[in-house]
This record gives sequence, C-alpha cells and structure tokens, in this order.
Amino acid sequence: MQLFKTPHIDFMKYKFVALAFSLAVILAGILNMTLGRGLKMGVDFRGGTLLRVVFAQPTSVSEVRQALRDINLGDASIQEIEKGGREFQIRTQLPKAEGEADRELEAHEIMANRVIEALSSEENKIDLRKGLKDLNALDENSLAFLLEPAAPEDAAAYAASIVQFRKDNGIVRDFAEVEKLGLKAEAMATLRQKTYLGSLSVLSRETVGPQVGADLRKKATMATIWALVGMLVYIALRFKIAYGVSAILTLTHDVFFCLAVYSFTSRELNLPVVAAVLTIVGYSINDTIVIFDRVRENLKVMRRSPFADILNASLNQMLGRSVITNGTVFLTVLALFLFGGQVINDFAFMMVVGAIEGTYSTIYLSCPVVLLWQKLFKTQKSPGKK
Amino acid sequence: MKKGLRWKVVLVAAVVILGVIVSLPLKDKIHLGLDLKGGIHLVMQVVTDDAVNIETSQEILRLQEQLKKKDLTFTSVTNPRLDQILVQGLNPDQEGKVKDLLDDSFREWDATMGPGRATLTMQAQVSQYLRDQAVNQAVETIRNRVDQFGVSEPTIQRQGGIGGERIIVELPGVDNPDRVKNIIKTTALLEWTLVIAGPSPDEATLLSPYGGQVPEDGRVAKGDPKRRAEGYYLVKKVPTVTGKDLRVVRRSVDEWNNPAVAFSLNPDGARRFETATGENINKLMAIILDGKVQSAPVINSRIQGDGIIQGTFTIEEAEDLVLILKSGALPASIKYLEERTIGPSLGADSIKAGFLASVVALAMIVVFMIFYYRLSGVNAIVALVLNTLLIMACLAYFKANLTLPGIAGIILTIGMAVDANVLIFERIKEELALGKSVLASIATGFKRAFSAIFDSNLTTIISAVFLFQFGTGPIKGYAVTLIIGLVANMFTAVFVSRLIFDLTISGRSRQMSI
Repeated sequence: MQLFKTPHIDFMKYKFVALAFSLAVILAGILNMTLGRGLKMGVDFRGGTLLRVVFAQPTSVSEVRQALRDINLGDASIQEIEKGGREFQIRTQLPKAEGEADRELEAHEIMANRVIEALSSEENKIDLRKGLKDLNALDENSLAFLLEPAAPEDAAAYAASIVQFRKDNGIVRDFAEVEKLGLKAEAMATLRQKTYLGSLSVLSRETVGPQVGADLRKKATMATIWALVGMLVYIALRFKIAYGVSAILTLTHDVFFCLAVYSFTSRELNLPVVAAVLTIVGYSINDTIVIFDRVRENLKVMRRSPFADILNASLNQMLGRSVITNGTVFLTVLALFLFGGQVINDFAFMMVVGAIEGTYSTIYLSCPVVLLWQKLFKTQKSPGKK
Repeated sequence: MKKGLRWKVVLVAAVVILGVIVSLPLKDKIHLGLDLKGGIHLVMQVVTDDAVNIETSQEILRLQEQLKKKDLTFTSVTNPRLDQILVQGLNPDQEGKVKDLLDDSFREWDATMGPGRATLTMQAQVSQYLRDQAVNQAVETIRNRVDQFGVSEPTIQRQGGIGGERIIVELPGVDNPDRVKNIIKTTALLEWTLVIAGPSPDEATLLSPYGGQVPEDGRVAKGDPKRRAEGYYLVKKVPTVTGKDLRVVRRSVDEWNNPAVAFSLNPDGARRFETATGENINKLMAIILDGKVQSAPVINSRIQGDGIIQGTFTIEEAEDLVLILKSGALPASIKYLEERTIGPSLGADSIKAGFLASVVALAMIVVFMIFYYRLSGVNAIVALVLNTLLIMACLAYFKANLTLPGIAGIILTIGMAVDANVLIFERIKEELALGKSVLASIATGFKRAFSAIFDSNLTTIISAVFLFQFGTGPIKGYAVTLIIGLVANMFTAVFVSRLIFDLTISGRSRQMSI
C-alpha cells in the first residue's frame, strides 16, 4: 500500500512566506512575554504553593474566589481542573517581602493552610473546634488508633479500607459510603462521634521556595543550552557546518515557537512542560536529520541539479515517511492530551503543539536555511562525510 | 537455518528472556516516582553555619579556661565573625606567652597578634570539614528518624555530592506530611535548665527587676505555645544536663495518665542533676527543646537519674519525641526549600489516565502499522514491544523510578522506533519499485536507512546525556528513559527487525507483504 506516489511539490518556493510566518509568531510571542500577559511561570520556577483540592459538592471558580476573598492571596490563580466542578487547582504566591527570604517557605505553608481553612465549610470549622478529626485528612495510623477501642481486632483493616476508598474516590462524602465498606456498628458509631467529613480533601500540595525556583530555572535553561550545543557539534561533524547551523536554528525556532504559542494560553510553565519542549526538540531534530540524510545521499546522485532541486526532491521523496511518522506521533500525543488526565494535560498540550510545529519547521525551515546559508557563503554543495 | 542467523536468534532470545525475568511482574519490579505513587518530596538545606558557630563557641570557652589557668590577663573574648575569635585587653608583656598558648593548643586556628589583642581565624579546611561533617551527620540522623518512623524505601541523599549542603528526602506512600516534617526538622537539642525568674507574660516584665538587661549568666527562653507553657522564662545560660546525657527514653504516662516521655540519665548526668535539684528545691526547672520551654515543673525533692517530661502531649507527639531523642540531635538546623506532597488518589488517577492513553496510542499504532505495512507491520510491532520490554527491564535493573516525564521519554522513544521502521520500509518499497528482487531490496533498504536512523538516534542521545548531566529531578528522569530507549531502539529496529525478515523471507520469494 502506498499513501503517495512521490509528489513534486516545490517546498522551497514558500521559504520566505514560511520565514515571515515564523517570525510573526515568535515576535508576537516575545511581545506577549515581555509586554503582555506573558509566559506564566508555575511554582517550579517562581516559587509558591500549588494546591489541588477536591470538594464533596460541586462548586464554581467564582465561589472559590469568593471564599478566598478575605485572604490576601497575592498573585493567585484558581482553575477548575475537572469538568464536574469538584476538582480545583489553586496557586498562591506571596508578595515579595524584603529580608524574609529565609522564612518564605514557611510563609507559603501558612498561606496554604489558611486557604484550606477558608475553603472548609462552616460546619467543618465548628466540628474542628469541638476537637473532632477530619475523616478526609486522617492518616492510616491515626485512623487505626482511633478505631481501636471500638474494634480492637479489625481496626487496622478498617483503616486500610477507608484509606483505599479515599484513594479511589478522592473524598468521602457521606458516612453511608463508609458503612458500605463493611465496618461493624461500634466502629461506625465511633467514626460518627469522633470524626467529621471535611468538605474538601487536598489531593496534592507543592511548595517551592524562592531559592529553589531560581535554581530550577537556571538549571533547566543550562541543560537546554548544553543539549543544543552538543547536537550542533555532532551534526556539524557528521554533515557540514551549514546543516548544523540550520538544525540549531530550527531547534531554537521550535523552542521559541512553542513557548510563544504556550504564552497565549492560560497554562503555566513547569518542569514537565520543559520536558515536553525537549521532547519536541528531539522529534524535530530526528525529522531534520532524516531529511538531511536523504539530501546527503541525493547530492551524490543528482550531481548536476541545482541545490534547491535536490532539497525539493529529498523532501518529496521523504514526504510519505514524514506524514506517516509525524502522523503516528501526533495521534499518540493526541491520545495523551485527550485521555491522559489532568496532571499531564499541560505537558500533553505542549506535545500536540510541538508535533505539528516540528513537522512544519523541518520542511519549511531547516531546508530553506541550508539553502540560504549555501547561497550566502557560496560553499561547495559537496556531500558531508559519510 | 544459516549459521550466522542461528547466533543472532540465540542472542535475541537471550535478551528477551533476560528482559522478561528482570522486568516481570511489572507491578513489583518497576518503582514508580512520587508523582505517580504519591508521597512526600522534601528538599532541605543544612544551615552549616550552625556547626561552625557551635565549634567557635566551644573554643571560646576553652580559650577562656586556658587563659585563666595560666594567669594571663584579658578583658574579653568575643567572636566578631562566625569563624573568628577576638581576645582583647591582653597585657603587652604577656603577648609572647599568649602566642605560645595559641600555637600549642589552638592549632586549627591561625593566630595574629596585635597590640593588646589576639585574633584567631578558623582555618578554611577546618571549617569546610565541619560543614561537611554537619551535612553527613544530618543525613545519618534523618535516615535514623525516617527508618524508625517506618517508611519503606525512603530515599535520602545529599544533592550535588561532596560540598553540597542540600538534602533530598523522598518518602513514598507517606500520608501525613506535617508529622514527618516535624520529625525530620526538629533539631532535638534538649536541655534541662534552672529557671532564674518567670514565667512572665512578656520580656519587659520578666527583665524589669534586672534593669531591662539580661543578666550575665542568664538567657531568655520562650514557652512553646503548643505545650501550654506560655510566657517568657529567664533561665541559666548553662544547662544542667542535655540530650547528650540521656541513657534511655521511652513513652510513658504522668500521674494523671496523660502521655509523657520518661527518661534516665547516664551516671555523669545523673550526678549533676541530683546536685542541681538538691540545691534548688521549690524552684523551677525548665525542660527546653530547640530553645522552646516544654514545661517548667517545680523541683519538689532531690531527683536522681530518672524523670519524666510532661507537656500536654498527644500520644503521637510523645511517640515522635521519643523517636527524635533516640535518633540523636541534628548537628545544625534545617531549612525546608521545597516540599511536594502528592496524595495517593492523584497518583492513582495519573496512572489510570496514563495507562489508558498509552493503550489507546499503542492500539492506534498497531492498527495503522498492520493496515499500512501488512505483515511487515507485524514485524515493526514486535520490534516496538521488545523495545518497551527492554526499557522496563533497564528501569527495573537500575532501580530507576518511572515518573511522568519518564513516560514522556518513552513516548519519544516509541515515536522514534516507529520512525526507524517506517524509514526502512519506505526505503524497501522504493527499491522494490525500482524493480530489485525482494532480498536485494531488503538488504539495500536496511543499509540506506541505517545512516539516518543512526544519526538521528545518536543526536538525541547526545542531547539526553547533557540533559542528564545538567538537569534536575524530572528532567533527569526524562533523560534516563530516553537514553535507554534509544540505545534499545538501535538494537530492536535495526537488528531484530532485520533478523525477522531474514528468518521469514527466503531467497525465492517473489513478493513481500509490505
């Protein structure tokens, strides 16, 4: 089966259109990042606390914001992360205070505690003051300890099954749910008497101090730059400097293009998203090298043809492969984006953007750049070392 | 079967069997990272200045003693800097003797003499050693505490190797972050100190009989609000006994059956404790943990080497205090820099979703490859499955954690593995279209596609190596799976795939399913 008979598309014709388009997107991105709303740094890179909470009853972003209005949250963001209106993500940021750098992590912690307290229902607060414990927050040991007087033999097993239920469902909404787990009456009575059902449960809580944030930012940048340099050297050795330069320009374009697109969304930049960008770079370099490899081969076969024709021929010969490979990759990351769950949604989004962008940049950027470089420096078009 | 092929078959079979043994069952062999499993990730900094500070303070005491012993006059010994001691008011005639003393007994310090004064500076390698030791001891103490708390498979390591002052602690499956954080962080500097005055509601009231100044031999300690020992206490500067004098600690109860911590002192400590209590009946004795007064009971009688610490503890708190005291004090205080608590349900959600996405993606690839390349597609799928198996085997063997970014690395690998097969198959098609025989087409297809596969895989490996070298946590995890996957890819997509063709297609074949 054959998807394409080798087509004859003149890709090189569109080089200036493509360059203009890329420049426009990147420029818009840079403007947005410097003057506009810009790239939103997540807690990994700027410090702060990220809370993921699940409520027993559905609510809305505005209600959550309302509940938090009394706390000076600084630059906070509240996002609904599950369509049912029960799961939310809240990022808090302390206003920068001089000389408090040392205590900042603890200050973040206190802030996060106040957020959780503010989101709890009034009944919860009353129960808490009465000295009752939150069944949705108790750890397994304490739970077993609590149940021990009522059910000396089964306490550990009961505690484990309640914790498992919480793990599967995120939150206990009703004592009836616990009763179904097969606890005996005395144990249930103890629970009803000594615990209350918190109206929310904290799924995750990540606090990054400012020093670490700056550190992570620096390290991620350094890692990326070194990786790019390493690739440049290798490609320059295996092909010619023109190809190495073109590959690096393409990759730099990939990084900036993806960040530009990302900056126009409401998503935040975190470490996993950086991993996504690096993956995109990986795919893109793979794509580019495959084409260059064909160019290297065609240079030997089509000695008399103009360089632009050789590039076009190579791209056309590889078009079937490009569509199949990139199509598969695209479907894979699309599956990740659609079914991969909330935690990796930002990551998957970046991958989807990158899968499309990487294909485009190989065809419309890496080859034209080689062509322009050759024209500019009038170097020989002889093939690289094989 | 040709002789050359037989060896290749044996090699591939051996790799497969080894891979299966090492990686199955996946559930037990693959360690999931905290982002998937749930647990606590802590990054902390050891305040190594503390260790230097303690050393300097002890040396000041020693220096004062020695100067007095030798009848050398001085007015004051202070530390203007963390690693510096300044002796002032020396008798100019005695400066030579002082110099001799410093050279003899304070060899770890560089001494310079001025008119009427001496300055000692701690040698750089000494302070470096102290800092280094402090971090090592802190790691040990934390490991002790975590082990006693009963966490399975904790990771406790220094970040950045030698000279690094940061410690990373990862505790999978722990669901009570606040308690663990307290256990780790408590310096556990326990002191029993006589109370001079107090408690008073604030510092000014406390110090008013002393003209607002803290007396020479005293210091102010604040009550721990958690222990209902509120207020301010003026206590003796030098404690009667400290945590170092403890022989046994265990959880106990006080006379009202409230949780408490019982202790026994070693003989030396017991003697000092007995003297001090005997001389100060009806006064208060403060029990101070990390500078905060836990309780300040009245001394009713001369107490020998045993006693209890009360302080309105819950059972858990009493247990934790015992645990901390048993594991010893930290050599320096600790500051948290980063803290991530991932609840088990979030991790479970991620695994479920990640699994679903992987299955959907793999299914699409399988359907497409078989639809498009027919039997050759099956060949590609075999290579792909083998590649995934090898990644899992390596992760299991090296006990590396599988994290979300790690999954990203696997996705990239799978994409490039598919690409390698596509490159080869498309090339074979081209050769077939040129009218070459099946065997010749396969041979040329693999040969021609190899340079592209080799270059693209190696380039990506090079970048992954740099990412591994310079990256942190998640980026490292990504780089590891990527490096493993791509090395495996060269083996599966080129070697194994070729072998399957060689085994299934004979020289007489006129057609192939591609």
